[in-house]
Amino acid sequence: MSTVMKTTRDVKGIGLSIPRPDAPDKVTGQVQYVADLNPKGLLHAKLLRSPHAHAKIVRIDVSRARALPGVRAVLTAADIPQLKKKAPTRAHAVLAIDRVVFAGQPIAAVAADEVAIAEEALDLIDVQYEVLPVAADPLESMKPGAPPVAELGTEADTSEALAHGSVAGVTTEAKPAKAVNISQQARLQRGDVAKAFAESDVVIENTYRVPMVHQGYMEPHAVLAQWESSGNLTLWASTQGSFNTRSEVADVLELPENRIKVIPMECGGGFGGKIRALCEPITAVLARATNRPVRYVMTRREELEAGMPAPQVIIKMKTGVKRDGTLMALEAEAILESGAFSGAVLAVAGVFLASLYLWPNFDVKGFEVLTHKPSIAAYRAPVAPQTIFAIDSQMEQIARKLGVDSVEYRLRYLQREGDKMANNQPWLSNGGAEVLARLAEHPHWKKRAEWKASSPKGKLRGTGISLGGWLGGLQPTGATVRLNPDGSLQVLTGQVDIAGTNIALAQIAATAYGVDIDKVKITTGDTDVAPMTGLSAGSKTTYTVGVAVMQAAENARNQTLEIAAKELEASVHDLEIEDGKVVVRGVPDKGVTLASIGKKGNLYMSKVEPVLGTSHPAFSVQAPAFCAQLARIEVDPDTGEVTLHDFVVAQDVGKAINPLQIEGQMQGGAVQSLGMALTEALLYDDKAKLTNPSLLDYRKLTSADLPKIETIIVEKPAPHGPFGARGVGEPPIVPAPAAIANAIEDATGVRLTHLPLSPERIALAIAAKS
Amino acid sequence: MPKQVLSCTVNDEAAEVLVQPWDTLLDALRERMGLTGPKEGCGTGDCGACTIHFDGKPVASCLLLAMQARGHVVRTIEGLGKPGALHPVQEAFVKHGVPQCGFCIPGVVMAAAALLNENPHPTEEEIRYGIAGNLCRCTGYTKMLAAITEAAGAGAGRRS
Repeated sequence: MSTVMKTTRDVKGIGLSIPRPDAPDKVTGQVQYVADLNPKGLLHAKLLRSPHAHAKIVRIDVSRARALPGVRAVLTAADIPQLKKKAPTRAHAVLAIDRVVFAGQPIAAVAADEVAIAEEALDLIDVQYEVLPVAADPLESMKPGAPPVAELGTEADTSEALAHGSVAGVTTEAKPAKAVNISQQARLQRGDVAKAFAESDVVIENTYRVPMVHQGYMEPHAVLAQWESSGNLTLWASTQGSFNTRSEVADVLELPENRIKVIPMECGGGFGGKIRALCEPITAVLARATNRPVRYVMTRREELEAGMPAPQVIIKMKTGVKRDGTLMALEAEAILESGAFSGAVLAVAGVFLASLYLWPNFDVKGFEVLTHKPSIAAYRAPVAPQTIFAIDSQMEQIARKLGVDSVEYRLRYLQREGDKMANNQPWLSNGGAEVLARLAEHPHWKKRAEWKASSPKGKLRGTGISLGGWLGGLQPTGATVRLNPDGSLQVLTGQVDIAGTNIALAQIAATAYGVDIDKVKITTGDTDVAPMTGLSAGSKTTYTVGVAVMQAAENARNQTLEIAAKELEASVHDLEIEDGKVVVRGVPDKGVTLASIGKKGNLYMSKVEPVLGTSHPAFSVQAPAFCAQLARIEVDPDTGEVTLHDFVVAQDVGKAINPLQIEGQMQGGAVQSLGMALTEALLYDDKAKLTNPSLLDYRKLTSADLPKIETIIVEKPAPHGPFGARGVGEPPIVPAPAAIANAIEDATGVRLTHLPLSPERIALAIAAKS
Repeated sequence: MPKQVLSCTVNDEAAEVLVQPWDTLLDALRERMGLTGPKEGCGTGDCGACTIHFDGKPVASCLLLAMQARGHVVRTIEGLGKPGALHPVQEAFVKHGVPQCGFCIPGVVMAAAALLNENPHPTEEEIRYGIAGNLCRCTGYTKMLAAITEAAGAGAGRRS
């Protein structure tokens, strides 16, 4: 993943809309993803997956599969001594041992000369199951006596929450009470809720429900594993964090981390779904068993049936306000269905519910509940779209009931910098109010009455707005910046570029060092060579790695100036870098070229130290980022069909390092948000089996469903961000479900609280009302 | 089952390759001919990532058996343009910053190039429907529409 920037000379660094340098390779199909790798001797892996959501494995017989010509290995749990029954995470549950806990759970693994042979071998594995009762619905699964999901004594997994680094000050309790499938619970309280409800004039109560959805990355999970005879393992991975993948694989397979090299290939989309290890351990085991390179590529069906989707979130919410609008009390119970393994970011849900608006009294309970479904993972701003759907829908309904402007109402009670969040941490500098105010100035919002009045015969038009955000993640990182003998710069990080961040980082290096962007090459190194770094997740790559690159570039700049100062017999403070030269300020013809300094750093017998800027920072201050979205829609009340006419996204990015890439993030995030709002749901039957395991039936939005997404970039600098930048990736996926539900109420007068807002739901709700 | 010989034209050159009778055209291109530009996003014709030109028409290569290509003319993204000599659709995709993860892009580019061949001056609505068979999870399609509109203006459709 190396990139060289080529542009014209009239460029510098930050603030420019520059296409990704790998774009030409992407539009010509030259970029390599894991599935494109085809080393000599390659074997193909396939996994036998359970057809039952909950069953005892009575017997497995692989003898017929092993005998098939072209099959090189067939493994079950019995062949992998590292496997333990109380698997704390999905990655540890490499193959089921004696019980399966979701439909699609791997039971046996095959490596063969061809994919078709491996598939045939799966058919030859005989498994005898004893089918067990299933916990398919989280509300039922919470009750005492529900069929247990986890092995007794399994610890709750809160590492996802830690990985996202999003919330401080909330502790979640594992394994409470007698309800066997409640794996975490949390509670946030302030004030006297009962008294405040008694004093409220307007009390609104709703249950919001957001189904499991899939992250929908276009490249399915894929990995290629190969061992050297020395015992070193190389993994070519599609991952959002190569160091995290290395740690997880090392832990599962009980290997020293420095024996594993993870090479991050181009990641064909992740959105949170490629943070945790999934198929890497089993592929590594197959490669060891066969002593051949083994490639495993999940099918789309496997992705949908046995990926790591977003949790189903059910939120029971009650709010009370005074007739003059004064917020009194919020009561909420959030249930996060995390499937067969614990790992939901429960605390984030609680904090979001009670921290966006100024509730003086609140009581928010959160439960993570296990069911016999695939375990969940992060999905772009995990649980923020679901919780904001609830709280923003509620704010809109309150404003309507009070007969006040809903934007004005939100702004009146929005928590600002310094206000105490539900976890008692103060809100940090953010542009929440600014993005909502900017969107409220948009002609589409100002003319919402005209839009409603313009409804053609038989159609209903409406406008909706919503505000949501993300707290911003943090994780230590590192970067180096080298000066080459020709005066060009070489930036190295270990950060996987899943969002166009490498060009932004190169722009930061260019500006911080003082050269044009076309002099900077940035490389994402593998885990053997790159400075250790965190996940590309939590909207933190530019915010944190950007700081490392900026500091490393400044460090390299200072080293360069010191070398030049000696040569020019001038003070460092009088020097600057201009047009590839270090010059004495005010004496433009007195200078030394960067190339000559770079050259001396690699000259035989030279006494000049090579320029190597480094930085390896850790962080403590997050940068919350907010996004407001506006939808203008038309509803057909007979069919319930929603036509999106206009969609506007206003987002605070702190400082737009590369506006072109940022627009792309805002538009793409908005469309994922709209998909969650309108069409997407993983649908399970009462045996917890997925009923829509294809992209025909799991309906993502296409270009034919959507208007052009308009973007408004707002820049309220983040005090600790590189050049003021804050995270961009996650906020745009947050607001659309509420914006669409608000628009539907504006158009039709019905309030919908269950996603997706499908034609069927809308038509039935309208019919029920009239 | 014995392998079969697939003879066809791929990216303007005569190709002869051994395939399994159950290989899809996508398998043959990717695994037997090393043309990994077309991607497998679903294998069921729903996502469009494997879109190629088959006798000039855009098709999902995962839905054809390899042997169905015998005697036909196949063009993959590798045969459309190269870095330095990009097709106008590719040029516009770069300029407008369309590609993010990039996995869907070869399919979208092939669909768009085929659209402009057939309809050199499409309306925005026609572009929308022209690439509606291609799922993209990163971009929200907005920049794709702008890029294809610009490529149409630049006369992409007049190239063969």
